[in-house]
Amino acid sequence: MRISLDWLKDFIELDMSPDKLIQVLNSIGLVVDEVSEAEGDLILEIETYANRPDTLGHLGIARELSAALGQPLKEQQWPVTETSEKTEDIIDVQVFVEELCPRYCGLVVRGVKVGPSPEWMQRRLRAVGIKSINNVVDVTNYVLYATAQPIHAFDLAKLAGPKIIIRQAKKDESFRTLDGTELKLSPEMMVIADEQKPVALAGIVGGENSAVTEDTRDVFIECAYFEPISVRQTAKRLGLQTDASYRFERGTDISFPPQGAWMVASLLCQFGGKVTRGLLDIYPHPRKKRTLILRHHRVHELLGVEIPAEKIESTFRALQFGVDATQPGSWKILVPYHRVDIEREADLIEEVARFYGYDQIPATFPPLKQLEPPPSPAKKTIQRMRSILFHYGFNEVLNFSFMSEEDEACFASSRRAVRLRNPVSSRSALMRTTLLPGLINNVAYNLNRGAEGVHLFEWGKIYFWKNDDAREHLSLGLVSTGLMAAKHWSSPQEKSDFFRLKGAVEALFSLLRYEPINFLEEEHPWCEKGVSLIVSYKGEPIGFLGLLRQEIGRKYALKQDVWIAEFDMGYLLAKQPRAFRFQSVVKYPAVIRDVSFLVDSNLPYQQVQGFLEKREIPWLEKFELYDRFTGASIPRGKVSLSFRFVFRHPERTLEAEEVDGFMERIIRALKTEFGFQLREGGKIDK
Amino acid sequence: MEELQEKIKQYQLKFDEAAKNVKSPNELQELRVQFLGRKRGYLTKLIDSLRDLSPEERPLIGKEINELKKYITSRLEEINQNLAAETRKTPRIDITLPGKTIPLGAPHPIVKFQEEIENIFYQMGFSVEDGPEIETDYYNFEALNFPPHHPARDDWDTIYIEGRDDLLLRTHTSPVQIRAMEKRKPPIRIIIPGRVFRKETPDPTHLPMFFQVEGLVVDVGITFAHLKGTLESFLRRLFSERIKIRFRPSFFPFTEPSAEVDISCTVCLGEDKECRVCRGSGWIEILGAGMVDPQVLKNVNIDPEKYSGFAFGMGIDRTAMFVYQISDMRSFYENDLRFLRQFLKQ
Repeated sequence: MRISLDWLKDFIELDMSPDKLIQVLNSIGLVVDEVSEAEGDLILEIETYANRPDTLGHLGIARELSAALGQPLKEQQWPVTETSEKTEDIIDVQVFVEELCPRYCGLVVRGVKVGPSPEWMQRRLRAVGIKSINNVVDVTNYVLYATAQPIHAFDLAKLAGPKIIIRQAKKDESFRTLDGTELKLSPEMMVIADEQKPVALAGIVGGENSAVTEDTRDVFIECAYFEPISVRQTAKRLGLQTDASYRFERGTDISFPPQGAWMVASLLCQFGGKVTRGLLDIYPHPRKKRTLILRHHRVHELLGVEIPAEKIESTFRALQFGVDATQPGSWKILVPYHRVDIEREADLIEEVARFYGYDQIPATFPPLKQLEPPPSPAKKTIQRMRSILFHYGFNEVLNFSFMSEEDEACFASSRRAVRLRNPVSSRSALMRTTLLPGLINNVAYNLNRGAEGVHLFEWGKIYFWKNDDAREHLSLGLVSTGLMAAKHWSSPQEKSDFFRLKGAVEALFSLLRYEPINFLEEEHPWCEKGVSLIVSYKGEPIGFLGLLRQEIGRKYALKQDVWIAEFDMGYLLAKQPRAFRFQSVVKYPAVIRDVSFLVDSNLPYQQVQGFLEKREIPWLEKFELYDRFTGASIPRGKVSLSFRFVFRHPERTLEAEEVDGFMERIIRALKTEFGFQLREGGKIDK
Repeated sequence: MEELQEKIKQYQLKFDEAAKNVKSPNELQELRVQFLGRKRGYLTKLIDSLRDLSPEERPLIGKEINELKKYITSRLEEINQNLAAETRKTPRIDITLPGKTIPLGAPHPIVKFQEEIENIFYQMGFSVEDGPEIETDYYNFEALNFPPHHPARDDWDTIYIEGRDDLLLRTHTSPVQIRAMEKRKPPIRIIIPGRVFRKETPDPTHLPMFFQVEGLVVDVGITFAHLKGTLESFLRRLFSERIKIRFRPSFFPFTEPSAEVDISCTVCLGEDKECRVCRGSGWIEILGAGMVDPQVLKNVNIDPEKYSGFAFGMGIDRTAMFVYQISDMRSFYENDLRFLRQFLKQ
């Protein structure tokens, strides 16, 4: 809301520096966002709140200042020149929808010379950002910006007869606004009509058919109170927002319409107009002021500071509230009509706090009577997950929770996507069902900017329908492409590959103690054939890793190999990982045996691993595949695998002969099961 | 006896002199034999001459000889090590070449900043809660005292779910306040960090998704003074002990009284009328807060006559932008490695 200092001074004396004024306004919550100078005037851009429509005019700001400074408002006079006609002989107002229009006031001004407004009025309107149109329209805007009361002026000659009817619109009734927009109305909308047609959309905008123009001589002034919800619903439905609707939908001062009408009339009299006698005021059920009880002890209980009774009483009096102090320890407070926000005791206490000064309230710490529950184990797991991934060189990213239809097409899955009714853009039409589109976009973005290696992870929610429930699952996505580290003079460059990613995944689940994890060779729609593994934990699939399919990569302008993985962390975090248990270090030495085999190159290693893991081999602590190669020295169709077996007894030193026996058993088993051949030169330590 | 003492001194000087000239292991060995040799070594001879002393003098001189022996032994070892280091064969390398790096991944600044905030609140006895991002109108608005058709809803531009009029993307983390209060009874002392959504076209200071942290304290006797104390401690720990803090009246449907909290501009210290960050006001708006509205407490069956509480909310992105002086909020979600990897150092 733009406030002109010059205009504000019509309502209240202000002898202070602009800095001081801004400070006072800030202290009562009227935040000055911007200050500018125009035509010798100071313009304050004041932030206003949805619950304070009374501050949407200069009068309202002046009232607040009056209470803050302890200074009365100036008295204002609105003299008029009257004709001998009675208003009620010219206009007959009939309100059919009293529940939507509880008060309607009107006056007629005859003989107005329509033309440009006087310079002072134009300047003030310019100050608040309103364009001058003609003196009649300007006066209605002037009163609106002065008092926050919207006014409408009709060209009397254009009304079909004396009747002004406030009614519901008819189904599909058409209406053309002042600025020429054609609207189709519906029955829940309220219109101002003459006997033939709607002439205004109540509280929102006037009709072209009754607009004041240069030829207008006589004007009918409408100054009313319309119910906020009705105005808001109509304005929303029609996509219209006007200065009038903005105020009506927040709630105007129901006591104000007579004064508003006289203000307009008085100003129009300055342009040669004469006002009819007697204000029309249709207000069949006058409302009482709201009465609230304020208990003194509640002020202390809520604010944490003792505020003297005199201070509380003087605050409310200065704000034009009625104060009845007959009951000791509490007050009966009468709320003025313009304060539509004050409905409960808490609202009154806020007024006390505002004018006492938030900065006068002490700062203390609330006593801790009971400890809060500790952080969930999931939180700790996520922290550990992050640090493991950092260690493996993955950078953490955050993407928006949205995805596009194109993303959905590339990364279709059994998850049914949640669509947005009013997305910000087509690129964010759906909620993401996977983290990968975001991550792959990040890869493309960085490669385009010269990155030679991109290794990223994101953990966050994915969203999908499960029957009629919108589900949110915590997911973990990984992508890796290009160089693993910056080039270094001492070593060859290492590029990311499948085993880099797999190693990180194995380490992640092992260190988080989600063991055992199984890898299944299975096709995945987002991966190249033969380069994807489904990962499962205790038999439940929890995700996959693999090489991004080229067709998908190309959609994101990626030409190079990108390794991808995604896991359902929500599922895992709901499971209890294996408990951490310390094992004392065995002090007896290990016996180590290295052995190489010739193996059929089609044999998946995992089968060998599984076979060895299941066999009961005495005192075998661990085994590792430490070398694998093919080449000239190896027959076609074969591959050389070298294993290291580590044996250790917890209570004594193993004898070489015992271990040889165990090794024999291992070698025999591998020969029988898989046709392993012991390699020439493969050393067996006898 | 004095004669012997003089001798001891002489031997030490002699040793030091000879030690200077040792250039090889052989010479070192010679020196060792010369002084410590079991038969003819100077020290062995000295010990032999102890016999001529009276029983009172013997231990005195014995001690001095022993000290000299220790001195010589340690010096010989030192010389031995120096000789070994000199003669060890090491390949000639240019040790001024750069070292090897291990490519450590970088944390995202928003996640990191959120962690810092959580840690401060843990220290103040808070716990961390979370809740759904796809919310119902009831939790996002109605229970928080936004009646249907209330203009206050206009300030929270909302993205809705297609095909379901009751569902939307939460516009703030406040619905978790309601869920927390439904789940448990006071005392409650929680913060709720998380993603929130608004229908905003991306620009340097607006995004359709960002992070917020919300706080809620409910108990018997919670006051506005507690709100001030808690937030002042939090902000001082997050920014600096030296900042100034200002509470101004404001409006939120779910708090009454409501406040906006400003901190003094840490960039210009309030001294630059042209300051880009605070626009010359000297203050930065950082938090919204207030006493939980009695209607909100009633909505979750907490008696507002018995209990009171305060709540607050802060934009994590916006605050991080201010702390690191990042001018464009979008840079958090572009995930440019040149941006992200700087936060390895933070």
